Amino acid sequence: MFIRWLIGITFIYASYHKIVEPAHFAKIIYGYYLFPECIINLTAIILPYLELLSGVALILGIYPRSALLILESMLFIFIVALSINLIRGHNFDCGCFSFGERGYGYSVLGLLVRDVIYFILGLQSLFFNKHRKWCILQSGCILKNI
Amino acid sequence: MPYKDIAKELIILMGFAVIAAFTINYFSPNGIALFGQWDTSQGVITAKPKNDPVADSFEIKDANTAKEIYDSGKAVFVDARSYEAFIDGHIKNAVSIPTNQFFEFIDSFKTKYPLTIPVITYCSGRECNDSHELAQYLIGEGYANVKVFIDGYQQWERKGYPVEQ
Repeated sequence: MFIRWLIGITFIYASYHKIVEPAHFAKIIYGYYLFPECIINLTAIILPYLELLSGVALILGIYPRSALLILESMLFIFIVALSINLIRGHNFDCGCFSFGERGYGYSVLGLLVRDVIYFILGLQSLFFNKHRKWCILQSGCILKNI
Repeated sequence: MPYKDIAKELIILMGFAVIAAFTINYFSPNGIALFGQWDTSQGVITAKPKNDPVADSFEIKDANTAKEIYDSGKAVFVDARSYEAFIDGHIKNAVSIPTNQFFEFIDSFKTKYPLTIPVITYCSGRECNDSHELAQYLIGEGYANVKVFIDGYQQWERKGYPVEQ
């Protein structure tokens, strides 16, 4: 339950500034230089709400395994995107928790380590195959229903 | 693996998220268009928000035209980048008004430059829209003749035009 709440609260917090300033978030997605132009705005519109709703679902225990699956998929994409930019030495604003005015509050490597830790914690919760505490809609783990 | 149950749950969660996202984006004053302008060859990049400061009609799209205006000596060039970037290098004789510190700088600017003077704003290039925001602020202060040099400092410097530190 602790991991669920930790990941849930983290993603709810991370979604806030993206929801408030979608135009700024879209520019940050552009700044990764990885995504096709046609999906930048759509991603900036949808992704923050996926983070928010999945985070809330995780805390309340509404389909927690699927909420985790969504957030783990996002973390995986972030990890891949950060790794590519780290390898090619491209500096950018990750836009994870706040929009830096000029540059980058965290080092890319630091961001990568943090995301990998969250990803591993999430995997542990995703494969947790016992009864989950404090769940409104208990669903089970990724391998079996409960 | 319970594929069907997981698929059903994913559809429910993602469906709610997508519906909420498009609905709130549609009604929000900060909402953006479904597709932005991300091609620098077409102009300054923008997500096209409802209060978009980027307006084609203000734009000077090539460095040569900007240089002609500069050579005429009739316009004042205003640097919208941070003060640190301005100190590192700027168009010769340009004035610094960082967009995010506009209200700290505008009073001294207004005492030196009358509202009738042509103003050319610029920032680093087509991937920043600070110069457009600054242009809107200046128009709001009463400056009637404001243009944006969209290729900005990088292109100016690359062309070998006059710069100073």
